[in-house]
Amino acid sequence: MISNFITMNGYGIFVWSSFVITFLVCGVVYYKTRKTLKKYEKEFAKEIGELSIQQKKTVLRNSKIASKILASYNKTI
Amino acid sequence: MLNFFHNSYIFFLIEKLINFINSIFFVLLLIALSFALIFSPPDYLQGESVRIMYVHVPAAWISLTSFSCIAIVSILNFIFKIKNLKLITKSIAPIGLMFTCIAIVTGSIWGQPTWGTFWAWDARITSMVIMALFYLIIIVIHKFFDEDDKANKISSIVAVIGLINIPIIKYSVEWWSTLHQPASIKITGSSTIHSSMLTPLLLMFFVLILYCALIFLMKYKTEIIKIKKKNLKRYDQ
Repeated sequence: MISNFITMNGYGIFVWSSFVITFLVCGVVYYKTRKTLKKYEKEFAKEIGELSIQQKKTVLRNSKIASKILASYNKTI
Repeated sequence: MLNFFHNSYIFFLIEKLINFINSIFFVLLLIALSFALIFSPPDYLQGESVRIMYVHVPAAWISLTSFSCIAIVSILNFIFKIKNLKLITKSIAPIGLMFTCIAIVTGSIWGQPTWGTFWAWDARITSMVIMALFYLIIIVIHKFFDEDDKANKISSIVAVIGLINIPIIKYSVEWWSTLHQPASIKITGSSTIHSSMLTPLLLMFFVLILYCALIFLMKYKTEIIKIKKKNLKRYDQ
């Protein structure tokens, strides 16, 4: 039964290669997109860290998004 | 209502949606794969090779929908000049290109056992390749133009020109004599696919749409962070 499932009556190579290619590409794109997002979150947090305390307070007060990016970055580390 | 379009609200929503999709995605993927690879029956003519349809068809649907979205958003951008619309087109294009390539490659693999060849320059396949080129041009424009406004303007024009190709792809199997079979699922009129095959097909489509949403949201979030990062430079000066 398992060998039937793998060979799929001779069509296994076509069926499995289609599914493997699809999900491999999806996995790689997911990994790269997530990595880029984390990289920018990290760079953003680093740049905020380099600001003076006064500037930092102003940025976080004026931009809700900035504080959210910082919060989401802090959650992941 | 206006609060809904506010950037910080959109950002908050993106975070929530990414977490939600991440939490349900793998369960749904397992269910969809079980239906596609185990529970669905083989075709009376094509045998087990019909299972390729469960990745090929959703990928083709997504690639067509993505391009239509880009073109419609580009037109809206021309009219209303909303800043967020530019980010949407920029985020969708790579997803569209990926699924167009998946549709072409899986279609080519499916072609070998059904048509006896991996490739034929038939109308459907050629028009899909042309769409992939349009996606590629849009991505390259965004990557290599320094001025955002100029890049958006040119990529929008390309997207609108590319929109002409969408009905060509859709009706190519009816207008020309092609190797590709006509559509089995019709929005208007009766479909010629059995429910035992339609269920896994729709399940796989739903899972891949969720995946697209996940990638889109992550890319959109990255674009917002890039803008905020640029804005931070003002405080440095």
